[in-house]
Amino acid sequence: MKEFFKSAKVKALLSILLVLVMLAVLTSNTENNFLSSVVNTLTFSMSKVTAASADDGRDGLSDQELLEEYKRLKEENADLRAQLVDYYAVKSENERLWKFYDLKKEHPDFELIPASVLRKDPNDEFYSFTLDKGSSSGVKTADPVVSETGLIGWVSECDTNTCKVVTILSPRTGIGAADSKSGDVGVVTGSSTLASDNLTMFSKLKANHKVEIGDIITTTGISGLYPKGLIIGEVTDLGYDTYDTSHYAVIKPYENLKKLTSVAVIIGFSGQGEVLLQNQKD
Amino acid sequence: MNEKTSAFFRYLAYVIEIILAFILGSAPKLMPELFGAKPCLLLCVCITISIFEREIPSMIFGLVCGLLIDLGYSYGVGMFTVALTLLCFVIGYAANNLIRATFPYFILCSAAVTIAVFMLYFLVNFVWQGYQDAFVYFKAHLISRIVQTIVFSVGFYFLNRFIYRTLSEEA
Repeated sequence: MKEFFKSAKVKALLSILLVLVMLAVLTSNTENNFLSSVVNTLTFSMSKVTAASADDGRDGLSDQELLEEYKRLKEENADLRAQLVDYYAVKSENERLWKFYDLKKEHPDFELIPASVLRKDPNDEFYSFTLDKGSSSGVKTADPVVSETGLIGWVSECDTNTCKVVTILSPRTGIGAADSKSGDVGVVTGSSTLASDNLTMFSKLKANHKVEIGDIITTTGISGLYPKGLIIGEVTDLGYDTYDTSHYAVIKPYENLKKLTSVAVIIGFSGQGEVLLQNQKD
Repeated sequence: MNEKTSAFFRYLAYVIEIILAFILGSAPKLMPELFGAKPCLLLCVCITISIFEREIPSMIFGLVCGLLIDLGYSYGVGMFTVALTLLCFVIGYAANNLIRATFPYFILCSAAVTIAVFMLYFLVNFVWQGYQDAFVYFKAHLISRIVQTIVFSVGFYFLNRFIYRTLSEEA
């Protein structure tokens, strides 16, 4: 037994474990470490291919509708073959951007970067995912992430080509929010009991709140991290948390966060980084 | 085929297997979610490799799989890297010196390692973080993930056994 622990193999194991622990401490405290950049750069192309191949493209259409659309597209494709060489790349990008047109029209100060879901973390029960845009595209940590229906998460980590998004279903999320009808303010944060049903929690409500089922919850914009007025979801239930003796509402986002494939990152908006003063909240 | 050549081709096959497991596990919509979870395929791969290989190659493949699990998703060297490096070394040593690389021993080993790794993951990421609904997550997701990982590791066992028998020096 003593010879085993003195053997070269055990010494090699202990040396490697020591290096790994040091790396773990180092990489846990840095936002943009070279190790994750290397791994994500190496796996970037592979993940793009598999993410694209996993999309079956049915978009909820029946077989008959798909067949008719196929015939129509085949005829159109024959006409379009005479187009410029980069036509299909431009068309694909245009389709992604159109989904966020209404959002941009309503908030002209938003700087939006469309992004595709590259991969999803199978170990994460709050449906976090990785996008195909990183710091090279202007994305930063804490940038809000939206779909065409509203806020769906925030950028938790970012490297050169990719970024990781934590959804509003996660307990790590804490967003200042308000009921658009009654004006009651609270914090939107996730819950393990609600996340699997695509629900999140509007917590820290006052005892005399006037939140009702069907109300729409939006961001307050007070912290400067999220723009004001961004839709988070709709109230589906009200409750009382006996653990911290506070009232809460259950919110259903308008998007199914388990099935996201394309989103947009807001890399800039009016008031970003500025904490709203009390008299500016209204 | 001499030992070095056969080892080279075996390790190449393992690398391809790890890449495929990473892609299958992380691509959206490719693998369905059963009872709230998906299996951790990289964990299946490194455990089955360790059953057949010696300590140092097992440790290296455990390190690579752990790195992919940690760095691919969370941007830092973390718990999976350290745990799998150590556990795969131990499995490699045990399989070559203490136990035989047969199916019953493999199932015991796979179950023990999978449960140990995911319990550690649960402790570090839920219990120590103070989440009040930690045990709800445990019941809703983690039990299913553990069972699915053990079930999928059976398939990888037979695959890696085939690779080892075909590409080892004895062949």
